[in-house]
Amino acid sequence: MIIYLLSIFMLVLIAPLLLSYIKAMKMVLLFKRPVSILQGYRDFSKLMHKETILSEETSAITIYAPFLVLSPLIIVMFFLPPLVQGSYYVSFVDAFTITGLISLSTFFLMLLGLDSASAFGGMGSSREAFISALVEPAMILTIFSVSLMAGNLGVGQAGVNLAEHFPKEHMASFLFAGISFFILLVAENGRIPIDNPETHLELTMVHEAMTLDLTGIYLAIIEAAASIKFVIFASLFASLFMPFGLEFSALVAFLIFIVKLFFIASIVALLEVNTAKLRLFKIPNLLGLAIVFAFLSLITFYVLGA
Amino acid sequence: MVDFLIGLFLASLIVALFTTRLFRLLLWYSMNSLMLGILALSIGNSIDDKAMIITGIMTIVIKAIGIPFVLKNLSQKFHFVRQIIPEIKVQYAIMLVPAILVFTFYLSEPITHMIHTNANYVAISISSLFLSLLLMMEHKNVAPKIVGFLSMENALFLLGITATNGMPMLVELGIFFDLLMAIVVINLLFHKEELKV
Repeated sequence: MIIYLLSIFMLVLIAPLLLSYIKAMKMVLLFKRPVSILQGYRDFSKLMHKETILSEETSAITIYAPFLVLSPLIIVMFFLPPLVQGSYYVSFVDAFTITGLISLSTFFLMLLGLDSASAFGGMGSSREAFISALVEPAMILTIFSVSLMAGNLGVGQAGVNLAEHFPKEHMASFLFAGISFFILLVAENGRIPIDNPETHLELTMVHEAMTLDLTGIYLAIIEAAASIKFVIFASLFASLFMPFGLEFSALVAFLIFIVKLFFIASIVALLEVNTAKLRLFKIPNLLGLAIVFAFLSLITFYVLGA
Repeated sequence: MVDFLIGLFLASLIVALFTTRLFRLLLWYSMNSLMLGILALSIGNSIDDKAMIITGIMTIVIKAIGIPFVLKNLSQKFHFVRQIIPEIKVQYAIMLVPAILVFTFYLSEPITHMIHTNANYVAISISSLFLSLLLMMEHKNVAPKIVGFLSMENALFLLGITATNGMPMLVELGIFFDLLMAIVVINLLFHKEELKV
């Protein structure tokens, strides 16, 4: 139990580090002088000290919504597969619960965008609704097909089963599910082929448009929620699609897990440097590809058993 | 390992169906052939077949490096349209691709009773044959049609190495020679295409 709580605490703590690492790595790859990888913590503490100003048009939603964006993601952190063997984990939570909690958080983020009563907020919210409506079916299909391969519908139990007995005979459908989940990881976290997290140009932004009017502590909470979302997706990817290294002692297994998270972050950074942002109406093509792969993984598992 | 490589083979073919740029299509074709070559090498290594290893190396050299390079040079030389938009809309392709796969998986079920080892590889080879046919159908330009033709050949090769543990060496060399001849003929076609414009 203590390892369980400690690992969740460590994952929350490491969350801003991962996003700053992606940023620093991108700057190194573009031959710029990189930002410090502690920049995420610095921004957080700076925003905590700053004055919080609310727009006159906002209602009470702006005061409540940032907490409701963060809290479902914190709840999902408790349902992740264990990082260390022998640690406590929640075994019965399935793909629907996790996807539902993540989309609850997205729902409050969209409300927050609408509530600021600026033109950008509404635009960002409609785009986010458009993207997340396409992400959810693919995500449910992907996690279900992995859970079926692992022999248990619970995500936590599936992670443990995969680590204990890797399904070598289902390698093909496992691979398709992995490709699909990686596209979803990129899409849901607003990384480059879908959304550029760094610009504030009106045509390109999705996530930034919704949080444009926020200041101070509310902005700090939303940024923390964004980084925790990345950690959730990265650790789901790490424990479902790279299920090895759990059998070592607690500290070593945890370090291996952290290395896996940084490996995923490096791949995301490489992808961001090498691709251009897609036009908004091309996004369904990419997410359609994710749905095709998710479906393909299910049917190769069912029909061929491969 | 074989399952993993076949998965990558099918995945690169499906991604090739959705690409809208010619050079990216050639890259995915090259990946497809590379996976095929590595597959031939690993199967040849496991059943200890020298001929299969030679074929694998030739596949990597000719199909994964040679043909995409030649096609890229040709399309640069003749100033081909590099933006290739599929005629079939993506919404329909999303439904069509899984439908083709399910259909062929059930279509090949009678055949799988005859082959005892790795029956599902036959299904994947036939479905990739249909997918390459779709790649040929959904484009109007010459260059993607050629890539579709070449990946159809890849699918047949996959069928050859997985279902029957390798065709005779002479047949495979003949196929490679055919491919090279096809590239020469394609070159002539490109000339003709240029004259028309």
